[in-house]
Amino acid sequence: MRMWVYVVRRILLLFPVIIGVMTITFAILSALPIQTHLIATFGASKIPYTPMVPCSDVGQPGNGQCRNPTYFQLVHQLGLDQPIWVQWAEYMKNSLTLNWGTVNYHSNAASAFSLTTSIPVTTVLGWYLPYTLELAALSLIIILAVALPLGNYSAVYRNRPIDQAARVMSFSGFALPGFLLATLVLFAAVILSGGATPTCNSNSTHYFDWYGSWPPFPQCANQPTWIGTYIQTSPTGFPTIDAILHGDWFLAGESVRRMLLPALVIAYGSVAGILRFVRNSMLEVLNLDFIRTARAKGVPETAVVSRHAGRNSLNVTVTVLGLTFAGFIGGFPIIEDVFYLHGVGLLLAKSIQPTQDFGLIFGTTLLFTIIVVVANILVDILYAYLDPRVRLG
Amino acid sequence: MTPVIVPPKGGRPRPGIAQLKRTLYFLSRNTLAIIGLAIVLFFVVVALFSLFSPLSNQSLQQYCSVTYGTNGTVGCQPVCTYDASSGPAPAANCYPTYSGNVGFVGPTVDLTHLTGGPLPLGSMQVSSGTNQYYYSIYDGLLKGSAWSLGIAATIVLSGASIGLVLGAIAGYRGGYTDEVIMRFTDIFLSIPGILLVLVIVASFAGYVQGLEGRMLLLVGAFIITWWPFYTRIVRGQVLVTREQKYVEASRASGAGTGRILTKHIIPNSLYPVFVQLSLDVGAIPLLLGGLIFLGFQIYPSPYFPEWGAMSANSVANLQSLIESCQFGACVFPWWQILFPGLTVFLFAISVNFLSDGLRDALDPRLRR
Repeated sequence: MRMWVYVVRRILLLFPVIIGVMTITFAILSALPIQTHLIATFGASKIPYTPMVPCSDVGQPGNGQCRNPTYFQLVHQLGLDQPIWVQWAEYMKNSLTLNWGTVNYHSNAASAFSLTTSIPVTTVLGWYLPYTLELAALSLIIILAVALPLGNYSAVYRNRPIDQAARVMSFSGFALPGFLLATLVLFAAVILSGGATPTCNSNSTHYFDWYGSWPPFPQCANQPTWIGTYIQTSPTGFPTIDAILHGDWFLAGESVRRMLLPALVIAYGSVAGILRFVRNSMLEVLNLDFIRTARAKGVPETAVVSRHAGRNSLNVTVTVLGLTFAGFIGGFPIIEDVFYLHGVGLLLAKSIQPTQDFGLIFGTTLLFTIIVVVANILVDILYAYLDPRVRLG
Repeated sequence: MTPVIVPPKGGRPRPGIAQLKRTLYFLSRNTLAIIGLAIVLFFVVVALFSLFSPLSNQSLQQYCSVTYGTNGTVGCQPVCTYDASSGPAPAANCYPTYSGNVGFVGPTVDLTHLTGGPLPLGSMQVSSGTNQYYYSIYDGLLKGSAWSLGIAATIVLSGASIGLVLGAIAGYRGGYTDEVIMRFTDIFLSIPGILLVLVIVASFAGYVQGLEGRMLLLVGAFIITWWPFYTRIVRGQVLVTREQKYVEASRASGAGTGRILTKHIIPNSLYPVFVQLSLDVGAIPLLLGGLIFLGFQIYPSPYFPEWGAMSANSVANLQSLIESCQFGACVFPWWQILFPGLTVFLFAISVNFLSDGLRDALDPRLRR
């Protein structure tokens, strides 16, 4: 199959998958009781959101129960009285046109991030996604720096102490609960950097050196104008890049330093999978004929490993890295929660807790799904490009 | 008349037994895998033992504050504690607390009577709204072993069974069947896994009451996210297996689809499923703990004895302690963090070692 036919076919197959995902989210949404929708959208109310309310009209036909006009008006306002396929079509149209609704200012997420007015979900995602992207990139750099050399060593010295040690190290990272490690690391960092000693005034301690994406501006300094009310930065939205663009090297360093501990925790937790892939693909390549040829013609062993085998084993690694990065964009709810970083993971975690914010939940789900699906296609194409032997089909 | 082949006594065993022996031999060569297997077996034995311990007579609601009477009875009053700095023990069966915090009873090395006496692993504190509960970590971990292993095994086995059936059908039939099943699988694979669990549990948790309902919801939500991985793995393996000569031979000698699937294709596609299955069992307590840590009420009560939940609750307490620590007073109840965390960690890592050993033992290419 020609390359472009393959690409077009994959892109066409994308649509049924995305529509399927949206249908599933729609099914979950419409399986919920109507009262939940009303409470989530309009907030809790003293008058219950039920079709009938008690009233003084004793006798026929309601016998003390009257129609609740508020209920029917609100249901109509949300379009929940429409036939189910009309609601589905409406939902699809809104999803595809990026009209994902607004943030609900009654919700837990809105209060956690003090979003007081109704802001479009896409805007909020646009504010928080860059923070997660930077964190994911930093974690991936750390993972690469560890996994590539260590994986190659493990393959070359297979079943020797270094291989076993690497295995135990990476597995223990996987097996240690992320919330436990992150909290202990935060605790250790607070104590090591001075504990309860005030930093810039009596209300600020070293705890705030490690907590949050930015220093606590109101206590210590004036918040720069390129950081908005909701901690969104301008012009690019990426905190570190924006700080550098504005020449604020202190805040750029601060932003990276605050991401360093979470990134280390994330890297430690997910290095196992990539390390195993690097090791296994290296093992496979080391057994191939051209390696034997290289050795036979007298290429030094270091050159065999680094140049002949290392280059060729990278194909698989690149694809795995792509998928890992796509998975990372899904955010790190737990890590971001512990360190209070302004990322989509924390946003999602807050929006799922009651009172839920359905607009945010389903907007985030859609965003993550699209990212994962597109990353899958990109990785497949990249793989086919890197390894010409791969059969497209 | 078909000749019956009787293997000679002391001769070669049947091929299946021989392969099992070979697998076990390669597994036994791997030290880490043996250590992993030993720890997993230990946890299984503990879980079975906990089902028959006196604690199992206690209902979950009563579990909040289990006490042991002097005559061996299991009571349900709050553990009697006292502040050691302010005076002597008010009664014989009271424990000194740590830093004056009413829930913090430290662990003791006195193991003379695990079922009635000082708390062997210390106490655990859980707050739900205005009430604070504290119970023995030893009891929680013991009772939690059955829950943790049970939940993990149910999720993984159900997911693997669904994946096995669908993957085998998709891979063997091919064509439109394959296309439909795999697109359906892709849809579920595209939704980030834990997100779907969260959304399902969070959306419906408020409407499902009772222990059975909550457990069913939780396990169901996990199964919905879990089966697609197995479907994809099994299909990939079946695509390789169905081209083998022995399948062709079986078909040539007149075997039907069902017989080929159950006798040849499925048994020979099982090994990646085993490996993935053993890997996933360890991840589930970690995931459950993560959900609890983020504040999702997936269990009927906040003091539900499950390893992940206990670990997450202790760490959530620690987080509030750090926040109080910034103003001077630092309390560090290490035993509340260590014991549940160590249990979850040991289980997950031993399962990983076992799965890694299985992968090496079952895949002939990796034996070299």
